[in-house]
Amino acid sequence: MTPLYYTPKEVAGLLRVSDDTVLDLIERGDLPALRISPRIIRIPIAAFDLWREGFRPRRRRVTISQEPEQTDASRVGAGEELPERARSIAG
Amino acid sequence: MIVATTDELLGYLADVVERAERYAATILPPNDADAVAWRRRGETLAMDLEMRLPAHPRSRPVDLTLRERWRATGRDRWVLSEYGHELHHHELDYRRALHRHDEAYFIRTFGVVTHEHCETPLGRPSCGHYAGDPVPEAITGFLRLYDIWLAGRRPDCSELRCLG
Repeated sequence: MTPLYYTPKEVAGLLRVSDDTVLDLIERGDLPALRISPRIIRIPIAAFDLWREGFRPRRRRVTISQEPEQTDASRVGAGEELPERARSIAG
Repeated sequence: MIVATTDELLGYLADVVERAERYAATILPPNDADAVAWRRRGETLAMDLEMRLPAHPRSRPVDLTLRERWRATGRDRWVLSEYGHELHHHELDYRRALHRHDEAYFIRTFGVVTHEHCETPLGRPSCGHYAGDPVPEAITGFLRLYDIWLAGRRPDCSELRCLG
């Protein structure tokens, strides 16, 4: 199984910096990481590679589009079989 | 109850997209353009954000979807009423999902507001609904599902508490 993440120590080795520097980058929100527990941090390799290449996502402009009323198919959980929903659809 | 103004929701959707892209997710159409949109249907604002997580070019895809519904609850005030965040790992053949919908039914039947899904293999659940912690907003949902993907193996559904 190919690992999908680095530890902070592994990233420190790749960047030739100290562990504390890596933790600082994570703490500042600069380096993408997941804090699994207070002591366990994972740095996704794909996200690290993008970060190292200097990739920064562009900020999107957000709008509100008007659409027809919600249909059953567009509901959250639409595929679930719930007795209540079945009764409601049946009328 | 999680409430927000319209302006806050506009900034929030931009935050969600930005966070997902920083984590190497590829946003799928129609939200891959320069502008993304909340879809308003009557008194509801809908987020339906589909993305792909990184995978080997010859692997089957890993799809992650973030869905939220915010209901109008006053002048320029919205409340998070439903969500459905989904991870479908087609290569490892599993599904994990974090849901909140049909609240009255779930409270009456199982005594919970939120629930989860776990299927290994895809489409063959050994339990219809599992207990799960609430997801306060989509970025948390994204990170929880991303963490499951990051493990690189099928989740062990037996570790979850089956509601029925």
